[in-house]
Amino acid sequence: MKPDGKHNPLWPEIWLILSGLAAVAPLLLLVVTAFKPEAEVLNFEAVLPREWTWSNFVRILGTPEEIPMGRWFFNSVFIASATTLVVLAVSSLAAYALVRLRPPGSGVVLGVLVATMMIPGQVLLVPLYLILNQIGWIDTPMALIFPGAAGAFGTFLLSQFFRAIPRELEEAAVIDGCGRLSIFIHIVLPLARPALATLAIFTFMGTWNDFSGPLVLLDSIRNYTLPVGIALFQSSYASEYGLTFAASVLSTIPVLVVFLVFQRHIIQSVAMTGIK
Amino acid sequence: MSGHSQAAPAPGRHPWRQWLGDYAFLAPFLALFFAFTLLPLAYGMGMSLFRWESLSPLPPEFSGLANYREAVGDAYFRSALRATLWFTVLSLPLTLLVALGLALALAALRRRSGLYRALIYLPTLVNVAVAGILWRWLYSTELGLFNRVLRGLGLGEIGWLTDATWAMPSIVLMTLWWQVGAPTIVLLAALYQIPGDYYEAARIDGAGAWSRFRHITLPLLRPVLLFAVVMNLIGSFQVFGQTYLLTPDGGPGRTTLTLVQYIYEVSFENFRLGYGAAMSALLFVIIAVAVLFQLRVLRHES
Repeated sequence: MKPDGKHNPLWPEIWLILSGLAAVAPLLLLVVTAFKPEAEVLNFEAVLPREWTWSNFVRILGTPEEIPMGRWFFNSVFIASATTLVVLAVSSLAAYALVRLRPPGSGVVLGVLVATMMIPGQVLLVPLYLILNQIGWIDTPMALIFPGAAGAFGTFLLSQFFRAIPRELEEAAVIDGCGRLSIFIHIVLPLARPALATLAIFTFMGTWNDFSGPLVLLDSIRNYTLPVGIALFQSSYASEYGLTFAASVLSTIPVLVVFLVFQRHIIQSVAMTGIK
Repeated sequence: MSGHSQAAPAPGRHPWRQWLGDYAFLAPFLALFFAFTLLPLAYGMGMSLFRWESLSPLPPEFSGLANYREAVGDAYFRSALRATLWFTVLSLPLTLLVALGLALALAALRRRSGLYRALIYLPTLVNVAVAGILWRWLYSTELGLFNRVLRGLGLGEIGWLTDATWAMPSIVLMTLWWQVGAPTIVLLAALYQIPGDYYEAARIDGAGAWSRFRHITLPLLRPVLLFAVVMNLIGSFQVFGQTYLLTPDGGPGRTTLTLVQYIYEVSFENFRLGYGAAMSALLFVIIAVAVLFQLRVLRHES
């Protein structure tokens, strides 16, 4: 319903300018305050620092034994990437089997997947903690990676997509004598690239920002992910605003870079969830 | 979906050999799904029937429905349920109305809609710990920017997170800022899918802006709106990060201590895992009932 013409209508644009400002202003405030010396944060005189300083950033990056930001960053990257890879691998194989190979029982499995999709993650956290404790995974990245790939969402999303791929392509490959695995790898996966990208973006961002999972399932400070590390940091340095703000800025930069590079794709993926 | 879609077994092989290969595709996912979704589900149900305290030297002991009875009589559980409902009642309509308003405005633009869309989505990228730090500072009674502005205007100050009346609305406002981007994008995509001809035809018939919205936009948006309501409902009932970070102690008079935060407190600070599992099961039932109710009400309206 995009109207034609060159000029934007007045009221919608005013409303969007105000909303855009409200969205961005707190973030800009966070960034400029991270450059203030502590005294200026406490005795607020102006929005912009009168004296710009890197000291907050230097203190965070310069004392890794006290504040293991680099370590938390690495943990976050590792856990989010590994979860994404595991989700893509197991969900695409399973979705292909469920909608194309269809061994006996596929209908039942799909039914169970749909039924469990609405179960909120928080509800499973207490028993999950005990199960992971039994197998000795608490306080390891495995405690987040494998349970993170166990949900029905990814398999369901991909099965919807695989259904829409024209069957003729696979039938031609069968006639040429290709096996299941080679059809899956050489024909289905390349065609499913947009759906795989959507699932990858969702899994990565969801895992990167997860808070309650790492809070409950990780114990030692060195094993924390960024959100939990930053939250701990805030509670131990509560009075030093400049320092916590600099840590916040540092932890946000990677996500921002990813967003700027993949913006179009991320927005499309978010839009797709509602339409499918 | 029907039986004939099944790949024909290779000639000369038994079908079960074919199936064995097919199941190999399913096995890795099913193993994870069983171990970390179905098993915790069953385990949680079982645990909720036990007196299961991990700090106590006694082994877990079967206690029937005692945990559920305790929850019904627990004043803290009831206050947590009230706080969760209050958050949902404030946050769900506010977030969706603002998202709808933003989506309509974005759809009306001829240029720059991509820029505004990106700006509105930006806060969603910030993780909850950073959002919490930022808003705790903005809301701070002494140092916070909001009170500084109020004092500057000679209006006195507000205990944004320390006054029982204001604490929950403050958390809702922060949530709106943080989370309005995704539903906006979902609704905008749905608006773009409405054919422009419909509006053209209505305009020729003399329909005004409101009547076009009421009779074209709203009915065609209904399935996506329903989806957004259900997703927001499920998320709102599980609110934890914001309340835990903005008001770690549960806020003034525990007014912002939500169900998941109370479950966290009971399970992982007091280590009463059986009671935590029972309250988790109750939370699941509450969410399921609320979703079914929403689906019924919104379907009937059409």
